[in-house]
Amino acid sequence: MLRLPVVSRSLFPAALTKGGAAATNNVRTAATATAAAPNLLEVFVDGNPVMVEPGTTVLQACEKVGMQIPRFCYHERLSVAGNCRMCLVEIEKVPKPVAACAMPVMKGWNILTNSDKTRKAREGVMEFLLANHPLDCPICDQGGECDLQDQSMQFGSDRSRFTESKRAVEDKNIGPLIKTIMTRCIQCTRCVRFASEIAGVEELGTTGRGNDLQIGTYVEKMFMSELSGNVIDICPVGALTSKPYAFTARPWETRKTETIDVLDAVGSNIVVSTRGGEVMRVLPRLNEDINEEWISDKTRFAYDGLKRQRLTQTMVKNESGQLVATTWEDALTRVAGALQGVEGNDVAAVVGGLVDAEALISLKDLLNRFNSDTLCTEEAFPMAGAGSDLRSNYLLNTGIAGIEEADLLLLVGTNPRYEAPLFNARIRKGWLHNELQVALVGKEVDLSYTHDHLGESATVLQEIASGTHPFSQVLAKAKRPVVVVGSSCLQREDGAAIMAAVSTIAQNARVSSGVEETWKVLNVLHRVASQVAALDLGYKPGVEAIRKNPPKLLFLLGADAGCITRQDLPKDSFIIYQGHHGDVGAPMADIILPGAAYTEKCSTYVNTEGRAQQTKVAVTAPGMAREDWRIIRAISELAGVTLPYDTLDEVRDRLAEVSPNLVRYDDVEEANYFKQANELSKVSCYLTPAYPISRASQTMAKCVKAVTEGAQAVDEPAIC
Amino acid sequence: MAEYANLVRRALGQLGGHGGVRGLLVQFFRVNDVKVGNLIGVDKYGNKYYEDKKHFFFARHRWVIYTTEMNGKNTMWEVDGSMVPAEWHRWLHCMTDDPPTTHPPEPKKFLADIHQINVSGSRQQYVPCTTTRKKIHEWVPPKAEAQ
Amino acid sequence: MFLSAAVRSAVSQTARQVRNLHRSAARAGAGGIFVHRDTPDNNADTPFEFTEENKKRIEAIISMYPVGHKQAATIPVLDVAQRQHGWLPISAMNKVAEVLEVAPMRVYEVATFYTMFLRQPVGKYFIQICTTTPCMLCNSDSILEAIQNKLGIKVGETTPDKMFTLIEVECLGACVNAPMVQINDNYYEDLTPKDIDEIIDELKAGRVPPPGPRGGRFSCEPAGGLTSLTEPPKGPGFGVRADL
Repeated sequence: MLRLPVVSRSLFPAALTKGGAAATNNVRTAATATAAAPNLLEVFVDGNPVMVEPGTTVLQACEKVGMQIPRFCYHERLSVAGNCRMCLVEIEKVPKPVAACAMPVMKGWNILTNSDKTRKAREGVMEFLLANHPLDCPICDQGGECDLQDQSMQFGSDRSRFTESKRAVEDKNIGPLIKTIMTRCIQCTRCVRFASEIAGVEELGTTGRGNDLQIGTYVEKMFMSELSGNVIDICPVGALTSKPYAFTARPWETRKTETIDVLDAVGSNIVVSTRGGEVMRVLPRLNEDINEEWISDKTRFAYDGLKRQRLTQTMVKNESGQLVATTWEDALTRVAGALQGVEGNDVAAVVGGLVDAEALISLKDLLNRFNSDTLCTEEAFPMAGAGSDLRSNYLLNTGIAGIEEADLLLLVGTNPRYEAPLFNARIRKGWLHNELQVALVGKEVDLSYTHDHLGESATVLQEIASGTHPFSQVLAKAKRPVVVVGSSCLQREDGAAIMAAVSTIAQNARVSSGVEETWKVLNVLHRVASQVAALDLGYKPGVEAIRKNPPKLLFLLGADAGCITRQDLPKDSFIIYQGHHGDVGAPMADIILPGAAYTEKCSTYVNTEGRAQQTKVAVTAPGMAREDWRIIRAISELAGVTLPYDTLDEVRDRLAEVSPNLVRYDDVEEANYFKQANELSKVSCYLTPAYPISRASQTMAKCVKAVTEGAQAVDEPAIC
Repeated sequence: MAEYANLVRRALGQLGGHGGVRGLLVQFFRVNDVKVGNLIGVDKYGNKYYEDKKHFFFARHRWVIYTTEMNGKNTMWEVDGSMVPAEWHRWLHCMTDDPPTTHPPEPKKFLADIHQINVSGSRQQYVPCTTTRKKIHEWVPPKAEAQ
Repeated sequence: MFLSAAVRSAVSQTARQVRNLHRSAARAGAGGIFVHRDTPDNNADTPFEFTEENKKRIEAIISMYPVGHKQAATIPVLDVAQRQHGWLPISAMNKVAEVLEVAPMRVYEVATFYTMFLRQPVGKYFIQICTTTPCMLCNSDSILEAIQNKLGIKVGETTPDKMFTLIEVECLGACVNAPMVQINDNYYEDLTPKDIDEIIDELKAGRVPPPGPRGGRFSCEPAGGLTSLTEPPKGPGFGVRADL
């Protein structure tokens, strides 16, 4: 339990790099010499031979032949603790059962996974685990998806010899997201290891000893991590459960929809559990290239925002300026009528951060029919130089997983911990296991790993670019450098200058490192899910065009950042808002068209690395709300410029016409045309960037309150 | 031979009892049954109550032919069991052998003066107010400031 | 509404009280509870700073471990902190974490694991009386009674002048000299009620009586004098065949 990655890291840096290099060499040699690999060991699992690499544990060897060993404390992505003893197996000619998760295999071992001794060992361990575990499964939120429940059914005995009274542990208050019932804890320490290894906040630990050992923070404090929700998933029992989800649903009564998250630009893969047309919770889905098996707290807990502040019916502004409900026919006719009266630059559109590619393409096609190309995104991006013409200019080219291979990372004007928590987790992984060195230009923030803070001003960037800054030497020595610029700092006035400096730095680093052509140095980390698709489809980043040339008719498609207000437009201008939340955009609109949120439509999103993924329909849109591209299609028909697609497939054919990468799902479209040529508030990750969904979420509001005022501020009366 | 004569007599009796072929067909389509018996009484709404202990076994021996218009509602084809008022209900369901014609019911406060037909399925039906929370809270637009 | 809130808070308070009744003996005993509760004399703002002398000691301790393994010095540095302050307030643990550049939680884990780290205030003289079987058979109960009568405190309590704290402990490994007590770092062994009275009087007078067994025997030699090795040792060649 007294593991400290920092220490081991600083002690064995040389050993680690050497080992790492050797390992990659091994992989290469193994790949070239496909014939007999001499360094493999042969072991037997229940008599079946299997070839494994030296250093493989017994548990991994068993997994290789498809034999699952029961376990509680072992987790593939965490260090091995070996303290639950559930994975005991017998090995032939070894006197005692061994813990499979921690024991490396030796040549010729025969692992017996179902012998009498193994079964007896498991049964005994299970009896001990259950000795102090309350049998409150009927009121436990883990019921139905509990490792202890499942494994005691499979491997446990049907009776216990335990007659004493059970140990009780007092519950901890570790914030508004995680509910703790510590009596149920079996001390597997997965949460402790997750906190210190993956999340990088060493706030959880084990206190006491023996029978009184307990997991907690010792002092009363919040578990302050942007990945804290994942301890709910890794907890094998019901000790750590979700507070917002508590007592709302059972796993067997929910319907699971595999979809993706759009609350940040990472595009985490998620599973949405629904019951009776209501989103009950959000769980992560395995995707090694993006989120591994973690998701951020915002992804996991902001779903209650999907049930509040929703636009459920069409609305129009009446004579007194009040928005009143109306029918679709009325609203669409008015919109079409308004559209028919304008032409060219008199009509413009602004799209927000949550808009899908289908809606983007149909809106673009619609406005193009009216000879207007004033289609803007709320997020700005410098258009000087190549701007968004070259795709590699605005993508996270290295890829989220690619960061693990880098050896030097320069972050410019970004706080990945809040803007893309899973990208930050990858950086931390590289920092921990692959000697990744991190430097930051921008506001000094706690990134959960050590980094050099080079300064806050843009002049530092100019110095690095011109080679006068001491960091330039470090950069020049790097073998696989990566430069990541946050889209938030490109919103500034001098965004173009920053971008230019960053690309110079990247180009210099590229030349000095001498990496192969496939390695990409320059990366842009976006904050919103729609930006990459919008730029792919030819939207203009930023609303400058609209400010300069105020249109008579403005179409807001989910634009809730408040970039354009009534004051920016002529007095008689007509505003149409289409979206799913009544937030900033809706109150200033003349007509409101209710759209569908990301759990309610099958649509395409492109994440910051340029990976097109699609969401799936988990629940139907509330009330009269409809899918966005269908609404735009209906408007086009009434306005007399019918768009040539009626089904989702036809829209996607059109998407493929404009930008083929948008329909190659789950695949990163390589972009390799490198240019030849901070404003981070420390409020909390829960509201950055401010989306209507997270703003409407009460859970997120509680988190912000807990962060600013302490966990006690949101202490709810205990229910059980 | 006597059986057949009896059968013919009963068939003719059906015709006569319902007022000719048309009456018989109307009765058949309204009630899906044709029966003749002794008219025991008619309530104030026009429902007619019959009895025939000789030809039908117990529980089929009392029946009602519903009125065609009750409480302003056309009940020619939309008949409903709840059209039978309370005093006749007990006789019709064999709780008693004394029809209200010979034994008028004791007047009680709770007995309705005008019998109500069941309103289920109509606009007047009772709908309890919901006690579950809303699944979706819609956005309420802000009040427009006075201009 | 206010009334209902009051009732609810009263109920939850009572519920917590009831819950406290369920504490096991071990939790209520020497180890204390394994979560921190802020008290007036034990909170994060309790002043604690290492003395210059102790800072040098800590430097020396840390230099014994390889570079980057400062964490290994957790136990000795905690011990230094405890010796300086008498016990370990939360602020001292935080200070140790700061000195060793580790997360405070890693220090709490160590401090709660070892029962010799005292996380509750104790008196100047911390009396640990052994009442495990061998001591009990040698009448440690009379010693316990004598201490209680002398100081007017019960097991687990501290005298009002903050001089003495008495706790009952399990075997301290001096069974051969039973009964015994440990007062701070010193073992007082082969005790009679009269001995312990004298020891406490001495301590009250500000002197530290010599540790070790009472009643004259040296260390743990047999109580009734030597039973073997009584004659002078034989010289070399004793018992060896003459022809060798």
